[in-house]
Amino acid sequence: MNYSAELSELIEEFQAIDDKMERLEMVFDLADEVNLLPLEDWNDATRVHGCQSEAHVKVGLVDSNVNFQAGADSKLVQGLMGILTMAIHGINADEVLTLTPDFATEMGILNSLSPSRSNGFRNMFDKVMSEIKQQM
Amino acid sequence: MRDEFPILQREINGYPLVYLDNAATTQKPNSVIDAMNDYYSNSNANVHRAVHTLAGEATEGYESCRTALKSRFNANKAIITSGTTEAINLVAHAWGRANLSDGDAIILTEMEHHSDIVPWQMLAQEMNIELRYVPVQKDLTLDMDLFEAAIDGAKLVCVVHISNVLGVCNPVADIVRIAKENGARVLLDAAQSAPHQDIDFIELGADFMAFSAHKMCGPTGIGALLVADDAFSEMQPFMGGGDMIETVSIRGSTYQKNEQKFEAGTPRIAEAIGWTEAIKWLNGIDIKSEHERILQSARWLAGQLREMGMTVYGRHDDNDAAVVSFLHPTMNSEDLAHLLDARGFAVRTGHHCAQPLLERLEITGTVRVSLYFYNTHEEVISFVNYLSEILERFA
Repeated sequence: MNYSAELSELIEEFQAIDDKMERLEMVFDLADEVNLLPLEDWNDATRVHGCQSEAHVKVGLVDSNVNFQAGADSKLVQGLMGILTMAIHGINADEVLTLTPDFATEMGILNSLSPSRSNGFRNMFDKVMSEIKQQM
Repeated sequence: MRDEFPILQREINGYPLVYLDNAATTQKPNSVIDAMNDYYSNSNANVHRAVHTLAGEATEGYESCRTALKSRFNANKAIITSGTTEAINLVAHAWGRANLSDGDAIILTEMEHHSDIVPWQMLAQEMNIELRYVPVQKDLTLDMDLFEAAIDGAKLVCVVHISNVLGVCNPVADIVRIAKENGARVLLDAAQSAPHQDIDFIELGADFMAFSAHKMCGPTGIGALLVADDAFSEMQPFMGGGDMIETVSIRGSTYQKNEQKFEAGTPRIAEAIGWTEAIKWLNGIDIKSEHERILQSARWLAGQLREMGMTVYGRHDDNDAAVVSFLHPTMNSEDLAHLLDARGFAVRTGHHCAQPLLERLEITGTVRVSLYFYNTHEEVISFVNYLSEILERFA
């Protein structure tokens, strides 16, 4: 799979970390990368179902590029949203649609999380991808 | 004691496991693991019918569990179930359907686990039964005035002995007395109390007591329903099948007279054999002093957490369990649990299957630390130290 330079670099950074705590810390830090979806825009349509936390995402297309906003009550989940932001935000929708959740597995983050959290990430990924498709 | 539990030697992410999720399930000593292994290696057979040697050993092993249960909890009848949940459902189906009718009332409390709410809601819907819930007060105790007010006309009282969220021990002796004075039967959910206390079922006077093996160092998938003689005579078979019958013909069937009437199908033989060993292990422990020891640790932990700015949900009276539920003012509980797990600390987060209680407390979940007899105070200290580190780095 060919990833963007930014995403490839992020995957490498995660792969270089052995300590689970440090990996989680890095996910926490990536929460700052999220373009926050304001709380007042959280609704049933934006909600990521099957996630134990309150997690909301909104996707739009600007000149064929993905515009991704998100928010969660968990910093860890918001960190995962930050990773997804780096993977898809501002990138051409056709290119984004070639992505699979494998990049998160390659980073080693999904096996650092509880099964419910990693399922939540996959649900978020699927929701985002299907909304991009709908808008194309 | 810790040497007897092989899993406690395990490392998680390169750090020693500190297992603090004992209200969910406890770890198993070698004696339990070995007994189950030995059964499958040397004695595996079906129980009760065949006359061959293996069947005899399997039957003896299975029935030794019933004997051990009756002896430990002083009961005349011990029905072996898949756990607390099935035991409560058994009361709903085998006793409830036969003894309740349109317009009857059942008393529950807001402190119940979902497994002591949902079966009654299902029965209530089907049979038009009224459910009356005793509220939990601000001091985390049951409102006994409202319990007394609700008892009139109730046929059954279902109450949790020790809350799995708060560790609060309810005044079950008073509840049984009041229920009996008013002609109501009592079902005690003892999932959290049976592992932590010496309970004399006959002396307590409850009619039913449900609990699980896995919360008292036994295997998963097995539990028991202790039943008083009077109540037992009022129960009708629930599940039909092999083992629960006396004779079967095409004209009809007759049923066993004893507990087997409620144990249709091949039972959990290896699990029963493992549970017997767990009960022996528990019998060998000075449960009172061990309980005092871990309760002291829980009290210390609650104090430390309060000093760290957490809200602690619990009071830790003498008979309460060594359970400490808490919340950080801003940090998400699951985030905290993930960070704790990174250094080998196993705690529970979420609603703990007690959503009505959490609704009363106006919260959606807690982080829960629950101790058992193999936990040490040093583990609790290391938990506090590491939690402080997490808060410094992430909160």
